[in-house]
Amino acid sequence: MAKLRHLAIAARDPDAMAEFYVKAFEFKVARRTDGPLAYGVHLSDGTIDLAILRFKTDQIGRGLDYTGLHHFGILVGDVDACAKTLEDLGGRHYLDTSQEGPGGFEVKFYGPEGILFDVAEHPWTGSEPLPAKLTEAAE
Amino acid sequence: MPKLRHIAIAAEDPEAMADFYKQAFDFEEVGRPNGVLADGVFLSDGTLNLAILKFKTDQLGKGLDFRGLHHFGVLVEDVDAFSKKLETLGAEYYFDRSQEAGHSGYFEKKFYGPEHVLFDIAEHPWAGCEPLAAEVKEAAE
Repeated sequence: MAKLRHLAIAARDPDAMAEFYVKAFEFKVARRTDGPLAYGVHLSDGTIDLAILRFKTDQIGRGLDYTGLHHFGILVGDVDACAKTLEDLGGRHYLDTSQEGPGGFEVKFYGPEGILFDVAEHPWTGSEPLPAKLTEAAE
Repeated sequence: MPKLRHIAIAAEDPEAMADFYKQAFDFEEVGRPNGVLADGVFLSDGTLNLAILKFKTDQLGKGLDFRGLHHFGVLVEDVDAFSKKLETLGAEYYFDRSQEAGHSGYFEKKFYGPEHVLFDIAEHPWAGCEPLAAEVKEAAE
């Protein structure tokens, strides 16, 4: 089964917000990012990547001053097959992103009611791989 | 370590949205909450609870017609201890609630963190989500 492994929050001050969650819940800083789409901090609870980001483009049509939960990400076995399924179900393809190193490749879709989410085959930084991949790694 | 175990989406039509995620990702339906704050559909990927909800109160100050990701929830070992810690760190307590009988019986407490981002803490897993590692270990013993 596909897994929810990424949650992104739009923040004005990602460093301060990340510090709060590190202190509050002992989440670990997995990495810092400053790419074409956003600047921010990726935290991990050991399972999920919590990305606290100051976005540089308006991906959800609420303006760049929007703060709050922004999008989520789902780890899948096969992005291409998943993208076809999503389009058959009425999902709208938005963007393919590719980053060097951690973060990898992800495809962004709008689902029902315009809600943005990513699908990726490679785990987000600090997030758990799919159970099948864990089994393979143990063998 | 506390764990992110709950993501809530504000939807106009929770049923249709839940159908999409069930078909797209094989998420399983694990509940149909209908409470004072919201009604909708609980889905699970086996680890997290994804709540697709039509809210009845404006918890975010963005209006009842807000559609999108709404709040998240963190599973902790001790809600009282974490409440104190959160308030020390400057979080603003919003309120607590106990889910009515017939659902999962959990209790959760809501806070606003930095930049008014809303989140819950709970010590009992949301429907369909994995418990904390310590609880899994205890259950196995």
